[in-house]
Amino acid sequence: MIGIGGQPLFMLPFGDIVLYFTPFTLTLFILALVFTVLVIISKPERQIDIVFGGDAYLAKEISISEMKFRRFMAIACGLASMGAMVTGDIFDFALFTSLVGICNVGIVAAVKSRHVQNAAYQYGLVAMSATVPLFAGAAIVAATTGTLSILELALPGATKVPLFVKALLTLGVMGEGMAPFYAAKAEMFRAPGAPYVIMCSLSSLLIFLRVIEVVLTV
Amino acid sequence: MIISRISRFISNFDNLLALFAGACAVLAVLFVLFLPLPYSEDQLYPKEIDESSPLYPYERGGTPFERADIHVQYPENSPFAGYVTAYLTPFSLALSRLTPHAGTTIVAHPGGILDEILYNTRGLDTVVETTILFIAFAIGSYLFRKGS
Repeated sequence: MIGIGGQPLFMLPFGDIVLYFTPFTLTLFILALVFTVLVIISKPERQIDIVFGGDAYLAKEISISEMKFRRFMAIACGLASMGAMVTGDIFDFALFTSLVGICNVGIVAAVKSRHVQNAAYQYGLVAMSATVPLFAGAAIVAATTGTLSILELALPGATKVPLFVKALLTLGVMGEGMAPFYAAKAEMFRAPGAPYVIMCSLSSLLIFLRVIEVVLTV
Repeated sequence: MIISRISRFISNFDNLLALFAGACAVLAVLFVLFLPLPYSEDQLYPKEIDESSPLYPYERGGTPFERADIHVQYPENSPFAGYVTAYLTPFSLALSRLTPHAGTTIVAHPGGILDEILYNTRGLDTVVETTILFIAFAIGSYLFRKGS
């Protein structure tokens, strides 16, 4: 398989679902892994509002239990991104992508800010509707080619996936958090608690890079 | 300017769902233009639907302790494919003899019916699916308990 990602260095078979590590997917996997480790070991930031023209400032207090929940969701999001980076199966990729979308809502679900909650609600609605084109794309891939394995679809003699189906998959991933639907996510970052909220941004960047590889390979 | 008006519309996240609906509508029109899509007769997971079977729609055939004929993508990765289809726990076996709807109670009794493709060769899918449910339940329960 010579695609955009290069030759697979390593395969990890789970029955019919074969995870493959090409230089491209391995890079993305390591990026997600490093960031997940950072999320696990780092302490969250404490947001401070400074009053202009004076020396007054106020620190936002965030309870430990809220931070724990947000860290749990950030780790789950990192694991989902890692899975989406290396999976070699279209349906599995769609599942991991929707898991990333749900975890992103979970990261900011505990924030006590009306603005952030509204943004997360709108993002959740779009991410939920985006699963329809995403899974429809995976289903039509199975119907038109008879298989779901990216490795099989990348073979030279394999049936090519119609262009429209690739557009469906891409629209599904865009709804999970790429421009222009990224606007709600950008508002979600106003929540205090980096580096956990940064996981929202990183995961959508990673899954978009991966879906480009998938669409160009099959 | 038209660009500033567009960017103002997009920057308001209340409009995003409408925007996404518009994108889906455009793609739906394209879908009609691209029809008909070819259907591959050489499907990887063929399935015969037998509505009279009590295990419908999870019936994959096979008799206990014998290997059923299962098509998989990578047979070398699933050396024991075909051995699990006919396994039923004693309770499920009794249920399938009593009622013709044992297949629809798959969520109600653990270990009842094993769909070979669903749980063995595509097991990672099942794991991720339940993880999605678990995460959604964790968020829901956290939000529910936050008020108290």
